[in-house]
Amino acid sequence: MSTDDVLLEELPSLSRLYVSAASTAARTKLGALERPLVLPPARHTVEDVRVSLEHVTRFQHLLHGTVRDSLPSVFVHSAAFPVGMSILARTDFPLPLLGMVHLGNRVRHLRSIHFSEPLAITAWADNLAGHYAGTQVDLHVTVSSAGKPVWEGVSTYLAKGVFLPGLDKQTRPPREDFVPPRPTATWRLGPEAGREYAGVSGDFNPIHLSSLSARVLGLKRSIAHGMYLASRVLTSIESVAAEKFEWDIRFAAPVFLPATVAVRIEDEEAGGRWGASCFVGWGERSHRKHFQGTARAL
Amino acid sequence: MASTPASPAAEGIRKAVVVGGNRTPFARANGAYAQASNQDMLTAALDGLVARFGLADERIGEVAAGAVLKHSRDFNLTREAVLGSALAPTTPAYDLQQACATGLETVMGLANKIKLGQIESAIAGGVDSASDAPIAVSEGLRAVLLELNRAKTLKQKAAAVAKLRPKDLAPVAPGTAEPRTGLSMGEHQALTTAAWEISRAAQDELALASHRNLAAAYERGFFDDLVTPYRGLTRDGNLRADTSLEKLGALQPVFGRSLGDKATMTAGNSTPLTDGASAVLIGSEDFARSRDLPMLASIVDAEAAAVDFVHGKEGLLMAPAYAVPRLLARHQLTFEDFDFIEIHEAFAGTVLCHLSAWESEEFCRNKLGLDAALGKIDPSKINVAGSSLAAGHPFAATGGRIVATLAKLLHEQAVSEGRRGRGLISVCAAGGMGVVAILEAC
Repeated sequence: MSTDDVLLEELPSLSRLYVSAASTAARTKLGALERPLVLPPARHTVEDVRVSLEHVTRFQHLLHGTVRDSLPSVFVHSAAFPVGMSILARTDFPLPLLGMVHLGNRVRHLRSIHFSEPLAITAWADNLAGHYAGTQVDLHVTVSSAGKPVWEGVSTYLAKGVFLPGLDKQTRPPREDFVPPRPTATWRLGPEAGREYAGVSGDFNPIHLSSLSARVLGLKRSIAHGMYLASRVLTSIESVAAEKFEWDIRFAAPVFLPATVAVRIEDEEAGGRWGASCFVGWGERSHRKHFQGTARAL
Repeated sequence: MASTPASPAAEGIRKAVVVGGNRTPFARANGAYAQASNQDMLTAALDGLVARFGLADERIGEVAAGAVLKHSRDFNLTREAVLGSALAPTTPAYDLQQACATGLETVMGLANKIKLGQIESAIAGGVDSASDAPIAVSEGLRAVLLELNRAKTLKQKAAAVAKLRPKDLAPVAPGTAEPRTGLSMGEHQALTTAAWEISRAAQDELALASHRNLAAAYERGFFDDLVTPYRGLTRDGNLRADTSLEKLGALQPVFGRSLGDKATMTAGNSTPLTDGASAVLIGSEDFARSRDLPMLASIVDAEAAAVDFVHGKEGLLMAPAYAVPRLLARHQLTFEDFDFIEIHEAFAGTVLCHLSAWESEEFCRNKLGLDAALGKIDPSKINVAGSSLAAGHPFAATGGRIVATLAKLLHEQAVSEGRRGRGLISVCAAGGMGVVAILEAC
């Protein structure tokens, strides 16, 4: 390990990370702290992470999945999430954690992962880049078992309204016309959908919990977790997908709760087997696109 | 596509014949049968059949029936109905559940037992009540109650109760939504109807024909020995003998409203939620002859199919479009070889989509692997005594209604024209399934 590699003793507590991020934000605002303009070259690792079977089961139940011994791909993301968050919450991280917008994910699910496997989780950030609405960054997470990577993910976040010197401001791409296709499913999400997903993912970001807590952060109502949407759509795909697959999702308009989301999943065959699934989700009434992505056999 | 097994050898397998049928009139939900349970209605259908064919205190080979909307306490629904009926209490029974194909599948399972010589006689049936539907506690309350049951100490019990949330106290009623898609059956069919570009007018015409045919069949006394009045109802409560294209055309779409002006499915061209029960007496030829009972039609063969609708590869209710050609191929028959075609009218759009699929060269080549289109069915052969749009559709009772109706139609034709006609039955079911069957006049 180089000097920038940090071995954490255990998974950081997400609620403590949110509190420390709030304090960092306050101190920055008061001028007591200055954010650097570059990413810290740090990698955080936690070893021997054990997943609780009861926790996986609650996750599978909430996402309408089958109770299986292998981990859902988005569950692995949520298990590793605190390590990634500990990078974003560093006081030397150039972007404020609170209010960050989740733009999308790319994941390579390299093999079926049994719930009993001890996992090593490493996270780091790169690709600090200009975005028309602010600055974006990639957060990388690698999950390994017995010394070999089993899951690799990249989450892209946007710090809205933050423009760092030296990064080109991108021009806003023209808004694409979205014509909803015929749905293959609809999801009815109640106002409690955010709290329920927080309960199984540990992501208690206030924008997901209630209208009140969301309004404090400037949203009109609470919004569904992007990873809830990803997981819900993957639940329907993982049952037909290959053991080794990659998937990606790009988030568009947020899903304000409660909501009825229409979804279309379209499969492609390759040599008589599942090859890929393309998916898109939109507001059943608003016709605004919420997310789009693909899953593909590796 | 899996290959279809060769036609079963005629020799060595004896015939199973339809002796007759009985059903309650079908009632619209929360109407005449609102206070009657599935067991009550199934018992009524059995007792009517017993009275019609003099089966009181008889031991029947086996009774099979089922319900789609079923209370967990009704784990032995059919046996309990037998015990409450005039049949001998030594008559065994079993429950079967295959969504809307339940009724037809009970006929097929029992007919196969008769053909193999395991039993001489059988009663196949089905029942459903949308009024007396099972209501369950929420998943949250259920989890707490089960945990409470497992808890040993007071502390564990308190911890379980502490997990209860106010919203957990709301009860859960069964819906018609497909578990994997969240879309109701009507919404699924609306998508299929739009994909096949089935017009509103065509659907309303089919609904009108269903009402006219059912009314005419009642008028000529066709149902006199197929239906026994129950709880004040003598005809199907949904039947509108005086409906018209104007009345049907005035109804607003209820399904597929997100399609905007392409929405075509109304309460008039979709089946309503209905309560009712049906039963069919079948037996070997020896059984019928020895008791001097009629033999209306022989139960020839059946085929089940299923489609992958979850990611939209096929419409939810399109499985019969695949089952029928497989069954026809096994018997080397075409639509021309049939005198009557009974296609369960889950929605008018369902029937019209199946007909369009069989007429479509593209569908028959690409989806069915045939050389050409299966062909057009003469509309005058379809649902000639009415079907579910007019009669209603108590899910598991529909198969028995159709089998008894078709057997009687074939028998009438055999008597009047002196020839053995042939009939086809097609029933679609939830979960992307379909069951189809062939009957032949005796």
